[in-house]
Amino acid sequence: MAAPVSTVGKPSAERLPLNTTSFQKKTRTKLISIPGTRPSVQNGQLLVSTGVTSLDYLLGGGLAVGTVLLVEEDRYDSYSRMILKYFLAEGVVCRHELFVASAQDNPDDILQELPAPILDDVAIHKPVEQPRLSCEPQDSLDAMKIAWRYQNLPKVQSALASSSRFGHYYDVSKTMEPEIRQAAKCHRFYLTEHPTQSPPTHSTMLESYSALLKSLQEVINSEGFDVAAPMSKSRNILRIGLPSLGSALWGDDLSCHDNPRNGHALATFFYGLRAMLRSSLAVAVVTVPSHLIQDRALMGNITRLCDNAIALESFKGSERETNPLYKDYHGLLHVRQVPHLNCLASKLPDHKDLAFKLKRKQFTIELCQPVSTIGCQKSKVKLLTVA
Amino acid sequence: MTNVLRTSKEQCLLTNVALNVRDSASCSGRHLLKSFINAALNREEDVHVLGFEVSEEELKGSPVQRLHFHNAYSDPLGWTDKPTFTVHQFCMEELARLLKQTSHPKPATLVIDSLSWILRHVSPPAVCATLHQLRKGGAVRAIVALLHGDMHQRGTVGSVCHLASSVITVAPGMKGGDAVAKITKRSKSGKVVQDEDIFTINNDLTVVIQSKHSQVGHKQADPEEQEMDPTAHLTFNLRLSNKEREAKEKLALPFVFSKEKKTALLHSSPGSGRILYEPDANDDYDQEDPDDDLDV
Repeated sequence: MAAPVSTVGKPSAERLPLNTTSFQKKTRTKLISIPGTRPSVQNGQLLVSTGVTSLDYLLGGGLAVGTVLLVEEDRYDSYSRMILKYFLAEGVVCRHELFVASAQDNPDDILQELPAPILDDVAIHKPVEQPRLSCEPQDSLDAMKIAWRYQNLPKVQSALASSSRFGHYYDVSKTMEPEIRQAAKCHRFYLTEHPTQSPPTHSTMLESYSALLKSLQEVINSEGFDVAAPMSKSRNILRIGLPSLGSALWGDDLSCHDNPRNGHALATFFYGLRAMLRSSLAVAVVTVPSHLIQDRALMGNITRLCDNAIALESFKGSERETNPLYKDYHGLLHVRQVPHLNCLASKLPDHKDLAFKLKRKQFTIELCQPVSTIGCQKSKVKLLTVA
Repeated sequence: MTNVLRTSKEQCLLTNVALNVRDSASCSGRHLLKSFINAALNREEDVHVLGFEVSEEELKGSPVQRLHFHNAYSDPLGWTDKPTFTVHQFCMEELARLLKQTSHPKPATLVIDSLSWILRHVSPPAVCATLHQLRKGGAVRAIVALLHGDMHQRGTVGSVCHLASSVITVAPGMKGGDAVAKITKRSKSGKVVQDEDIFTINNDLTVVIQSKHSQVGHKQADPEEQEMDPTAHLTFNLRLSNKEREAKEKLALPFVFSKEKKTALLHSSPGSGRILYEPDANDDYDQEDPDDDLDV
């Protein structure tokens, strides 16, 4: 048996329990290992989990650090808000720092509604039970009738060690305990606390957006999320959640008028945001009420300026609610943009008909293929079920 | 039959809620608004009405003590020297001052007739900001606003309704006096409830809900799923009776050992199954020269 290979430059991980392998990859690269992240298998980018494992799969393993995910809201902003809460809850569980900026709801209210993580998945390994000795009560033999020779063998540990777990599951019927939530550091930006003066007419960006960008810049610089900052202390990721950006409460008339007066304010904001994120260890999830924005060209601009973009379309209130094809799902998910980071072109997703369903313990995204109904027999083909 | 209209009326006056009544040219929502005002007054609450579109006499026949009508009908844009209430006064400071004038201890209900008038003269983001501040401020308990949906661009209507926690859209009904109300309620947790009711308003401004609206053309009969049950029509019997099940449990399978043998095999004592071999002279176990017996 080969001796375990020691790693170079990697901080010592926790002592691995008995049954997992003692082989460790020998790495010569100075890859910063931050809890809750992992390098992508495709291009080596550092990825974080969005909190929804199906969405991670769709985005190619996770959200790359330094990018923006744009979520186009559904009509009543229920599922897009849920995705944002998953994202923030994942940050709390991975011990990242959070930044929440909102114009409508108080950020503290948003943070109090985070779903509770299902903790037995992230539990520390229990020590392996030793094989039972011969002075055993007889009733243990009744446990297995046919495979009784394997009775005394220890149970196979199928779960991986918790340190290598990527993505967690959440129970949306419960809210996160305050102790867990307060362990994570959180920065807030509530627009009503920042009184805006009349916007200067020469700038293309609104006061509210500039104030938000300034606040973000301060946090990134002061807390050391800048990539250029010295690597002396341990690094962490900043998770930025911006619900309902572009709504009328931000002072933007993009969602009110067909020909908005300052139509490029939001696009300028995204340009600035992405530039800021590229040079920092931060990830942003932004939700935009795109169903209110009538100018599709502007919406297209905004989509291009974000790295990842998905759109949610909920069935609530539309005629699709009664459509038997969609009865198992809560809505459709459209992928508008995939990132091409450090490459010329990216692989577009093969599947265009994706539907989502919010269950209590999981937000699943599945391939929804319309099938023909022959007589009264209905068969549904789920070609790809991503957990 | 859920009287959602009635409960939404009550609900909007219980919690801090913004209610939008959205009407169109084909069906006016003002009667519904009047019935809301009436219900609030019957509940002994203070009601402030910002009346832009109709005069006080038309909205409420005789003056009632708890109803404070702010006359924005005669001079909404402030063309005369002494306007009572202008559209430019629709901002947080002015409204707070207005609401503080009454000495009622409980927070009041604010009724806006109509929001469309204000939206024509004040920019939608400012109107939304004011409504949002009013809701958060605590000066009002509930806001009921009338909005003419066909007077504005879709984005404007959408933005304003997005802020509201309940939206009632009135449309003309099938029969003459009826109207159809589509109610969308959003709770704080994000749950959305939608309902449709047919209602009429009596002369004394009470709402009578007739029945749940059923659109004949739209609804499809749910196809009854007939799952093919493979065990349904077989010529042989797949089920077990109780006696048969017991006999099945008692049957000793051929390769199943008795308990004693299982224990013996599982917990074998050391040395019970070892093979001891001693190589004799014929077994040439010489590693260095394995072919020693060859005569070469």
